[in-house]
Amino acid sequence: MNILRVEKLSKSFGGLRAVDSVSLELARGEILGVIGPNGAGKTTLFSMIAGSLTPTSGSVYLQERRVSGLPANRVVRAGVVRTHQIVRPFNNLTVLENVMVAAMFGAVARGLQPRAVALEALSFVGLADRAQQYPHGLTLVGRKRLELARALATQPQALLLDEVIAGLNPVEAIEMTKLIRVIRDQRSISIIIIEHILAALMSISDRVAVLDYGKKIAEGKPAEVVKNPLVIEAYLGEPQKTGSESTSRSDGGPAQ
Amino acid sequence: MNAIRRWMPEWLSPTALGLFAGAVAALHFLPRAVELSPYDHNQITLAFVFIAAALAWNWLGGFVGQVSFGHSAMFGVGGFVAARLILTATALPFWLTWLAGGAIAGLYALAWGHPTLRLRGPYFSIATIGVGEATRLLLTYWTQFTGGVSGLMLPINPDLKYSLYWYGLYFLALVAAASYVLRHSRLGLGLLAIKSDVDAAADVGVGVVFCQDLVLFLSGAVLGVAGGFYASYFSFIEPNDMFGFDRSISFVLMAVIGGVGTVFGPVLGAIVFVLLRQFLIASYPQLYLGLYGVLLIVVVLFEPLGLSGLIFRLTRRLRTLRAAR
Amino acid sequence: MTQQALLEVRDIVVAYGDIEVLHALSFDIREGEIVTLLGSNGAGKTTTLRAIAGIRRPRSGEILYRGQSLLRIAASARAELGISLVPEGRELWHQLTVRENLELGAYGQTARRKSAANLNRVFHLFPRLLERERQLAGSLSGGEQQMCAIGRALMSEPKLLMLDEPSLGLAPIMVEQVFKVIAQLHASGITLLLVEQNLKKALEIAHRGYVIETGRIKIQGSSAELSCNESIRAAYLGL
Repeated sequence: MNILRVEKLSKSFGGLRAVDSVSLELARGEILGVIGPNGAGKTTLFSMIAGSLTPTSGSVYLQERRVSGLPANRVVRAGVVRTHQIVRPFNNLTVLENVMVAAMFGAVARGLQPRAVALEALSFVGLADRAQQYPHGLTLVGRKRLELARALATQPQALLLDEVIAGLNPVEAIEMTKLIRVIRDQRSISIIIIEHILAALMSISDRVAVLDYGKKIAEGKPAEVVKNPLVIEAYLGEPQKTGSESTSRSDGGPAQ
Repeated sequence: MNAIRRWMPEWLSPTALGLFAGAVAALHFLPRAVELSPYDHNQITLAFVFIAAALAWNWLGGFVGQVSFGHSAMFGVGGFVAARLILTATALPFWLTWLAGGAIAGLYALAWGHPTLRLRGPYFSIATIGVGEATRLLLTYWTQFTGGVSGLMLPINPDLKYSLYWYGLYFLALVAAASYVLRHSRLGLGLLAIKSDVDAAADVGVGVVFCQDLVLFLSGAVLGVAGGFYASYFSFIEPNDMFGFDRSISFVLMAVIGGVGTVFGPVLGAIVFVLLRQFLIASYPQLYLGLYGVLLIVVVLFEPLGLSGLIFRLTRRLRTLRAAR
Repeated sequence: MTQQALLEVRDIVVAYGDIEVLHALSFDIREGEIVTLLGSNGAGKTTTLRAIAGIRRPRSGEILYRGQSLLRIAASARAELGISLVPEGRELWHQLTVRENLELGAYGQTARRKSAANLNRVFHLFPRLLERERQLAGSLSGGEQQMCAIGRALMSEPKLLMLDEPSLGLAPIMVEQVFKVIAQLHASGITLLLVEQNLKKALEIAHRGYVIETGRIKIQGSSAELSCNESIRAAYLGL
């Protein structure tokens, strides 16, 4: 059964059609990657699914229950949460308090103490020892992990990750990628992930959807999508490889 | 001691509870223990009400972070509703008229506040100036209700004024306790999240609209009760005094100078405000306004948390000194 | 033949309040080189660029440009000397047009005189920007914004151009284009200092590199040496 079903979702800002009749399905336990040029409408799509933006037309269903049109906080309680492309921690609260807000308000109370849920989420992302610090004392990867912990504390069924790997160095990126996989494997959370770091995205996505100028132009397994000429022209530029491989030049000289 | 600690919720600090109980007890017995002149007795009574008003203003202005320059609107609405009830429904005990005034004032706050809180920050504040002034004008012209510029005269009860001290004290105690509880409660954390980033708060499940509406109502209601109290105290109210912009500003000043967003700050700020006014208004009536302006600038430039901030800094320095030894 | 370094950074210590971010950092850049700074977030790469640009003052140490100390020279004057920074996240003025953004790049006295000529050169290098000349910078796509930011830095005729994570947030096709441009700029004689998370691209284009970790240089060498370096290979190129 599908966790999330997006049906002909559109968003217009005045004359500009930011998202044009996009339909998607997220299967239970799936990781769906979303790629596309900047301005293709990916974040706008997320905002509509998460409820921060009202669609101009179209619908979103969570387990066949309609969630489009609900305000963001109700969508979170229903089970869909998003992270932000540019992290937005609550700067006046400690790391623990940041996550406790999510546990208190975003999770449907199941007899679990918010503090316990928050601490668990923090130790999952590796921030437990920074619980009493303030977000400005964290590095970028720390803040991205905080954003992730906060989302997890809402006990979601579907998680929307918006460029959570961008800006991280390759070591941090690998760790974050592993973490995302564990979230799916151990916590049974289905994930949609927007990323430009192709190697990361391709390595964890079961399927990939490609947006360009607000429309979905391709969808399928990562290996198929990277060969799609439309995708290459709009987004990839040159034939990409999805696996990891040595990329150093033998003479170490600069590219001409 | 541990047995007591066990039934106390974990957010309730025993020290705070002890200090609170001690202060209330001390103030309760103060007029009987010390010889207070009627003037001082009455000044303290008024101070109680202003402190309560500042605390309630701070719920919206400090906890949620939406600064209102129009809170005198609720003060006035509450005052006039209470006054009207005192004049027409003479069977009602006066404190019930205050509660009625508070309820109506709270609903009024909700009516203008709910749509206006879609504006954030300075835009909201500017809108509240308009609300305050519009309310003043409307109710000044509604002479059947407010008596116009002549205001309303209430029957004077000479025994009442003395006992208002204790009504004021317990009103303040209730509001202060509510302030502490709010700050440490789940709702309080949600408010701080809203203050920091309203969209991100909604994105993690905080019911922004509901939380803000709740604070609007509570804040407005307390200001309304304060207005009713004020009416009973003076046995006379008129629209320009109740709804004046300087009255709205006074709530802002008390909270900001004392420490906007802190629990105890508005108490300090209100005490300073009342004391300054008392000492200056006799000899230098124009000076005290200018002095508030200077204090405000000093707070904004140097210590955003006002007097509370200074105290925090002092205690921190004392603590590091002690640790170093 | 040994060239005098274009830029010499000697033992600079930079702190934000009480927190020391760079601890006696030293490196140099020779004229005509492309040097890349690598390392984790928070390692101090952006701080290093800011110190060279004059936005952040080192607590101690020395920065020499063509043998001349920069420490007493304000950031705006350093731009006139030929040091230009393309900041992380572009930092364009979104409410201004592409043209206005570019023109503001030639703010200094000397640059202003040659503004028209340089503007033409930038448009020649980035034809897309000419197409979108009158569009608001905020409405451009990520890659176009990066081009605009680079163009703006070029308006002051830099000898040393510093780029802070030019590929951040860009689609792969745009990353290709940005690096093509960087190569073109190098070919025209500009010395480049590049901070990049995209190691593959950075090591392809650079001559030499330094790995910064917690405010210190941990590894240095030619890009060939760095590509072969075991720890870098294992950690970075395993992706």
